[in-house]
Amino acid sequence: MTRSRLALALVCAAFAGGLLFAGATLSQSATEAPPQDAAGRADGGLSVEQLLARTTPPNTPNRDQVERGRQLVIAGDCAACHTKAGGAPFAGSRPIRTPFGVIYSPNITSDHMKHWSADQFYRALHRGLDDDGHHLYPAFPYTYFVHVTRADSDAMLAYLRTTPAVAAKRPANALPFPLNIRGVLVVWNALFFHPKPLQTPAGKSAAWARGQYLVEGPGHCGACHTPKNMLGADETSKAYQGGVLDNWEAPNLTADARTGLGAWSVDDIVEYLKTGRNARAQAGGPMAEVVSASTSMLPDPDLRAIAVYLKDRPAAAPNAGGDPDRAAMARGEAIWQDTCSACHLQSGEGQARFFPPMRGNQGVQQGDPTNVVRVILEGVRTAPTPTRPTPLSMPSYAWKLTDREIADVATYVRNAWGNKAAPVGADKVASLRRKLDLIRPPLSSWSKVDQR
Amino acid sequence: MADAKDDAQKDGAQRRTHTLLDRRKLLAGGALLGSAGAAMAGGAAEVRGTTIRNGQIWRPGEADYPEDATGAKGYRFFTGAEAAFVEPASERMIPSDDLGPGAIEAGVPVFIDRQLAGPFGRGDHFYLGGPWPQGLETQGYQTRYTPADLYRAAIPAIERWVGGQFSGRGFKSLGGADQDKVLTALEGGDAKLKGVSAKAFWGLFIENVIEGFFADPIYGGNRDMVGWKLIGFPGARYDYREWVGRHSERYPLPPVGLKGRPAWDRA
Repeated sequence: MTRSRLALALVCAAFAGGLLFAGATLSQSATEAPPQDAAGRADGGLSVEQLLARTTPPNTPNRDQVERGRQLVIAGDCAACHTKAGGAPFAGSRPIRTPFGVIYSPNITSDHMKHWSADQFYRALHRGLDDDGHHLYPAFPYTYFVHVTRADSDAMLAYLRTTPAVAAKRPANALPFPLNIRGVLVVWNALFFHPKPLQTPAGKSAAWARGQYLVEGPGHCGACHTPKNMLGADETSKAYQGGVLDNWEAPNLTADARTGLGAWSVDDIVEYLKTGRNARAQAGGPMAEVVSASTSMLPDPDLRAIAVYLKDRPAAAPNAGGDPDRAAMARGEAIWQDTCSACHLQSGEGQARFFPPMRGNQGVQQGDPTNVVRVILEGVRTAPTPTRPTPLSMPSYAWKLTDREIADVATYVRNAWGNKAAPVGADKVASLRRKLDLIRPPLSSWSKVDQR
Repeated sequence: MADAKDDAQKDGAQRRTHTLLDRRKLLAGGALLGSAGAAMAGGAAEVRGTTIRNGQIWRPGEADYPEDATGAKGYRFFTGAEAAFVEPASERMIPSDDLGPGAIEAGVPVFIDRQLAGPFGRGDHFYLGGPWPQGLETQGYQTRYTPADLYRAAIPAIERWVGGQFSGRGFKSLGGADQDKVLTALEGGDAKLKGVSAKAFWGLFIENVIEGFFADPIYGGNRDMVGWKLIGFPGARYDYREWVGRHSERYPLPPVGLKGRPAWDRA
């Protein structure tokens, strides 16, 4: 709350100053030539003339191009934002809950995209401008899509133009002044949007380069997994160290052994992205959607490329741990024995690919305990995938455990079997319970009953 | 029951074999169920089939949890007169003794009271429509009464019968030996009650007393898990994979109910 208010104040200040040069920048940027994309690679070495010649899509649909576009739209998980729950694919209107307010995603079915030229689409991906030249909010991750090659951009548009037309009108965004004025994004872009072409260091494999392109470009993994500053921009110095969104924590993806992917092998990552499960973890929450709709549909070599690239990042954001109260640990152990150990076992080892192990679990040892608390409160369901179509679910314990009991068992899970992480307080649980609008437990606590 | 006997006599001429008759009745019953189902479908909200894709429906935070019956004091269903039978009768079956607390201390009458005040008492889980031929014992609960109605009808009838046997005294005021005689008469069907079957009531009552002593404490009985402690049942635990291979070892954990156990809060 305080954080977003402060952010708002900063935006207001920036906006006041920014207006002075906004007009000039806006008119200038509209006429500016599209910036060179990532070292021109994967464009097949086309000349500027050839690129321009391709801006009008051919009259006859190019099957290969459409198929390539389909795969890229899956890799980019466009549906994550542009398909609402129960809605027609790509028809938009899904509420995107940002720290600043709610943004409703636009319709990107052929009904809307038939009006877009390939130049306009490329400009949207690379500069965050819509077909009319208005600024798009960075909830549309053009800060990542700027790395998408021209050929890939054209293919994505070609595919979107083949999608069934749905005429959908989206609700108005719920953003406070001045964020509801798109011109303010001139300031935001000036502050935070300084794209540098992707460089593949010498000696890296083709898989590494492909992984880099997918992760940093269309896959936009950092949009969730990189922490954000007060204005919602990536803290690039902390890339992939874990981010917070919509009351979930996107975990650390660096090589840190405790909180990151340090203990995961390339095969572990591939299995997780393809099936939603591996011997260490299972995809839940927003990542379950990503796995179901995107990564489980990607070709194996692309998954391997992503894994190779992710595994090559330096370790960062180690967990300082904490000093859990002994009484809290004892209570947490009792709750674990009675409530959790049936599936996850007393030893915390779980059952690989069915009940994720908690011993050595990366997710529960994040610095921020949001995910472990949230999963206990509301339960979680593993992503259904073509290889593992039956989703297992963990039940909600919001009705059964008090805030203090959840805090104690979360503290235990974060510190038992060699795990190490800061203890969790009941206030953290209470606050998350409020935010998620979950019922208070109707059960009176043990100490208040049966003592008559 | 009288109707059933009449029906059976009318059918007598046609009754070549039991098998035939049973089959015919079964078919008739099936047709009745079918039409009842159709009537429900037509009368109630529209019923639609749904194809479930991508796994079963799951919504975060949703749970089908039991109502906590331990908080409120007093009875919700039983009248004072009914409690004056249920309490001593259940205590006679499970008395407080060297082995531990009895039915009253364990909350058995409270458990039965809460059950009779809810869906169980209303017979929500029973088919209670006709026809009502004399059922076999193996067919289980065979009366027109809901469980709540059966208690309501049987207890005054029992007290009238007791009054007749013991010069106007109520069950509660009898000594243990006499109370046992009454209960034995109910169990054996020797107590002839007016308008209600003693055996039918006994069958339900003894079952409910046992349930009240051993059901999860959240439902009001088995207070402090006394029933489970008595027999060494570890309670609402779910899986013992880690113990399958550990023989001749005492299972160390105390029993736990849906509401937990003291160690959750007191360590």
